[in-house]
Amino acid sequence: MNGISSGFGAWNPIAWALLFIGVVAIGFVLRSLGNKGYKRGTGQTKVFLSGNEEPEDSGALHVRGRHLYWGMVEGLAGYYRRVKALHTGILSDYAAWFVGVLAVVFVILALVR
Amino acid sequence: MPLPRSFKRALWVFHIATGSCNGCDIEIVAALTPRYDVERFGIMLTGTPRHADVLLITGPVTRPMLPRLKRIYDQTPDPKAVVVVGSCGCTGGVFYESYNTVGPVDEVIPVDIYVPGCPSRPEAIIDGVVKAVTKLETLEKAGVSG
Repeated sequence: MNGISSGFGAWNPIAWALLFIGVVAIGFVLRSLGNKGYKRGTGQTKVFLSGNEEPEDSGALHVRGRHLYWGMVEGLAGYYRRVKALHTGILSDYAAWFVGVLAVVFVILALVR
Repeated sequence: MPLPRSFKRALWVFHIATGSCNGCDIEIVAALTPRYDVERFGIMLTGTPRHADVLLITGPVTRPMLPRLKRIYDQTPDPKAVVVVGSCGCTGGVFYESYNTVGPVDEVIPVDIYVPGCPSRPEAIIDGVVKAVTKLETLEKAGVSG
C-alpha cells in the first residue's frame, strides 16, 4: 500500500479507510445484539428523565463542557468579569492592545539596557 | 449445583419508589448486600427502565408520582413484569383511601406479582422477582416481542 512515511509517522488513506470500515462494522454488530423489540413511536423510544416529561428545550438539561469548570469560573468571577469586558470582539481594540503592550515592552527593554 | 433454567439470562430490575416510607426500599437494598447477594444470579438494578426486564415498585402511588409511574411503565420495553413490594403498594396499606394517594399500584398500571409485608423481607422480594422471571418466560413463549 502506498502512503507517506517520515520520521514523524506514517499516513496511508487506505489503511485509515479500512480501520473506519472495521469500526463501523463492529458498531453494527454491537447494535444488532441490542433489544429489537422497541416499539417506535411509543414511550419506549423516548428519553428517560427520571420519569419526568421531556421539556421542549431539552438542550437546557444537557451537561455542557463549561459546566465542568463552573466552580473555577465562579471562584474567579471578579477576574473573569474584567477580562470578559476587555474581549470586545472588535479587531481595532485588539490591535490597540497589541501596540500598547508592545510599546510597554520596548520601554522596559530600553530601561533595562 | 447448576443454576435453574429460569436464570438463563441476567435479569435487570428498575426500582421505583412511588411514595414509600423507604422501609421496603431498604429491604431491596438488603437483597443486594452480601448476605443475599442477588447479583450472583444475574439480578441487578439498572438506572433506567429502558434497559429493564422488571419494574420493582414500592409504596402507594402519590399524586405527583402518578404521571411519572405511567411514563416509566410506557418506557419499559416488552416483555416486562411488574412486581409490587410492600403492603402499601399492594393494597394501599396504612394509606388506604388517603386523599394524598391515587391508590395501590394496580389501579395505575397492570401488576404481575404482589409481595406483601411491612416491610417485605428480602427473601420474599427475591421470591417475587424469581416469579417475575417465570412470567417473562411465559410472555416470551407467547411471542410478546422483547
